[in-house]
Amino acid sequence: MRLAGAELLDSREILPDQWLQTYHAPELVAGARAGQFVHVRTGDYSGLVLRRPFSFNTIDTLAGTLTIHFRTVGRGTEWFTRLRPGDRVDMLGPLGRPFEVDPRTQHVLLVAGGLGIAGVRSLADEAIRDGRQVTLLFGGASARDVYPSSLLPDEVEYVVATDDGSVGHHGFVTELIPAYEAWADQAFACGPLGMLRVLSSLAASRGRRLGVAKLGRKRGAGRPVPAGSPLARRKAFLQVSMEQNMGCAVGACLGCVVLSTAGAPQRVCREGPVFASEELDWEGGW
Amino acid sequence: MKAKRRVVTSATGERPGLAKRRPTVRRIKPAIAPVVRRAPDIRGAVSSNSAASATSTRISAAPQKPVATAPDVDVDLSVDLGRGLVLANPILVASGTFGYGTEYADVVEVQRLGAICCKGTTLRPRIGNPTPRVTETPGGMLNSIGLQNPGVDAVIAKYAETWAGWQVPVIVNVAGESVADYVEVVRRLEGVPGIAGIELNISCPNVGKGGLQFAIDADAAAGVTAAVRRATDLPLLVKLSPNVADVRPIARAIADAGADALTAINTLSGIAVSPSRLRPLLGNTYGGLSGPAIKPVALRIVYEVSQVVDIPVVAIGGVTELADVLDYLAVGAAAVQVGTAIFADPTLPVRLVDELAAECRRRGLTSFAPLIGTALPKRAAAPSSKGVEYRP
Ligand SMILES: Cc1cc2nc3c(=O)[nH]c(=O)nc-3n(C[C@H](O)[C@H](O)[C@H](O)COP(=O)(O)O)c2cc1C
Ligand code: FES
Repeated sequence: MRLAGAELLDSREILPDQWLQTYHAPELVAGARAGQFVHVRTGDYSGLVLRRPFSFNTIDTLAGTLTIHFRTVGRGTEWFTRLRPGDRVDMLGPLGRPFEVDPRTQHVLLVAGGLGIAGVRSLADEAIRDGRQVTLLFGGASARDVYPSSLLPDEVEYVVATDDGSVGHHGFVTELIPAYEAWADQAFACGPLGMLRVLSSLAASRGRRLGVAKLGRKRGAGRPVPAGSPLARRKAFLQVSMEQNMGCAVGACLGCVVLSTAGAPQRVCREGPVFASEELDWEGGW
Repeated sequence: MKAKRRVVTSATGERPGLAKRRPTVRRIKPAIAPVVRRAPDIRGAVSSNSAASATSTRISAAPQKPVATAPDVDVDLSVDLGRGLVLANPILVASGTFGYGTEYADVVEVQRLGAICCKGTTLRPRIGNPTPRVTETPGGMLNSIGLQNPGVDAVIAKYAETWAGWQVPVIVNVAGESVADYVEVVRRLEGVPGIAGIELNISCPNVGKGGLQFAIDADAAAGVTAAVRRATDLPLLVKLSPNVADVRPIARAIADAGADALTAINTLSGIAVSPSRLRPLLGNTYGGLSGPAIKPVALRIVYEVSQVVDIPVVAIGGVTELADVLDYLAVGAAAVQVGTAIFADPTLPVRLVDELAAECRRRGLTSFAPLIGTALPKRAAAPSSKGVEYRP
């Protein structure tokens, strides 16, 4: 974790109220992995007291740049849209734990709901770099919310669902899962809680429905995997990137927790944001 | 700057609050006592029983000997919070905003802080409140963490050894639901190397008394303070709640019950509404407001309290820059804690240490004691509970 200045290189409104910004921040990019995030200070010191967390949307280690993708939802995010190239912001990162892809995984399924694309986007790059096949299932409200395919690597198979059917499958993105779950070796998802909850229950019953062995059966079968460990995530079929309101983003304030199946609060900023779906209590046990 | 590490000889059986915590920073003898002590000659004759008759003199009215303004003149920032708890400087980090001191270690020179108040610690583990637990509000934030913590035994097992190796004192913030809870937590902390003091968070429901907070009743607050006082020789700070009509009798009762210092304030009770407007936003409905938005309230409470007690008052509430520190000193605080601002600016507390020293140097002071209490009235001011605008 480092605290460093980041210079804005490029800022674009890629969809209505959705922005893509490129920053030069070599100290933060070094060693950053897909699934991690940065905590960025707004320069409006007139009353905004919290930083804003953003996933690494893409990471370019060679150029020392990263992109963030966000929707304007309030004064903080609006402040970011007024930045001009050359402006500097104060970033803390890389924070949190990354996605863990099993070395044997060939077929990577990414599932994104709306802005959740920012949470899994950089994993597409990482997986392609490592020679894997990637399919991205994207769900949005309507055509105007659909992430532009031009911003994705050519190698990615891109499948869209919209709630109003204005483009792609008419319905929820989760309805596309049956067509891909047999193909996929592992799945990685980010989006609204409702979507993640459906995905997690599909993942839980997948082995039984498809009669496929879980990854990791052969190697180290039966040996206990420490909860929350990178290994636990690597062995899971479904990994999810969680969202929660944050204060500190370093594990100090306990503002950002989700509950584990064991009933223990897990900090999204520290133990997460990426969790194996079976580690979490999806019934909302409080 | 590299943090100075002090070698702690762990197996001496000495309590860390006393001899071990003597700071290494006093390199010069200032002209006057640099720290606020309990001695009445500094605080003036303050009647601790009667608000009406409470008179107050400015702290350290003695003329300050000007110092040749060499740029590197040594400024003594040390402050004595009582019972041997002498901090190297008056900038502390507030409970709940700095975890256990380890979380920010990558980016903050933790050893340069005056002290660390750790997250609220209870007898048994607590999983805390439902989410959402935090939300930003104008000039501040609401939190309802619900005192999530692993329990006192786990805190000791996990952190005490690390703390014992630190130069910066760690003050354990203690919470409970009954007097017996508080006493038992403090008993377990007593004598553990690495624990420099206790800060009692009394903004907790007293389950035995119908769930009323200890902090809102002078008798309950004094009762828990006295019970903890009997149970420990550790330096004892008690944290005041702003959610009361008149804080002065409560502050006096706590001081009389044996607290070494007061800290003020804890968060103000508030709520936010969810974007759908169908329910309150926070999972727990109520949250505590903190940040710059509460500074005028905290300032008022420190102003009122420091006129009626003769123990040090540590100010907390919305500190974001040196001017805030100076304001709190002016209304009688002996030290300040930085909380919410850390989330935006983690290196702020350490910077404030340097800025305070620079400010003293600029004014030709060898200590910050002359900055304390300069805005206090010569005669006790009417409390805010008498009404803000209407004067009889
Ligand atoms: C996220 C959060 C957690 C807190 N937890 C505690 C706690 O456990 N015990 C306590 O006494 N105060 C707690 N506080 C209150 C702070 O210590 C401090 O009194 C308050 O935030 C006002 O200071 P500030 O405006 O500088 O933040 C907490 C505050 C915040 C924002
Ligand atoms: S945001 Fe503070 S613990 Fe996660």
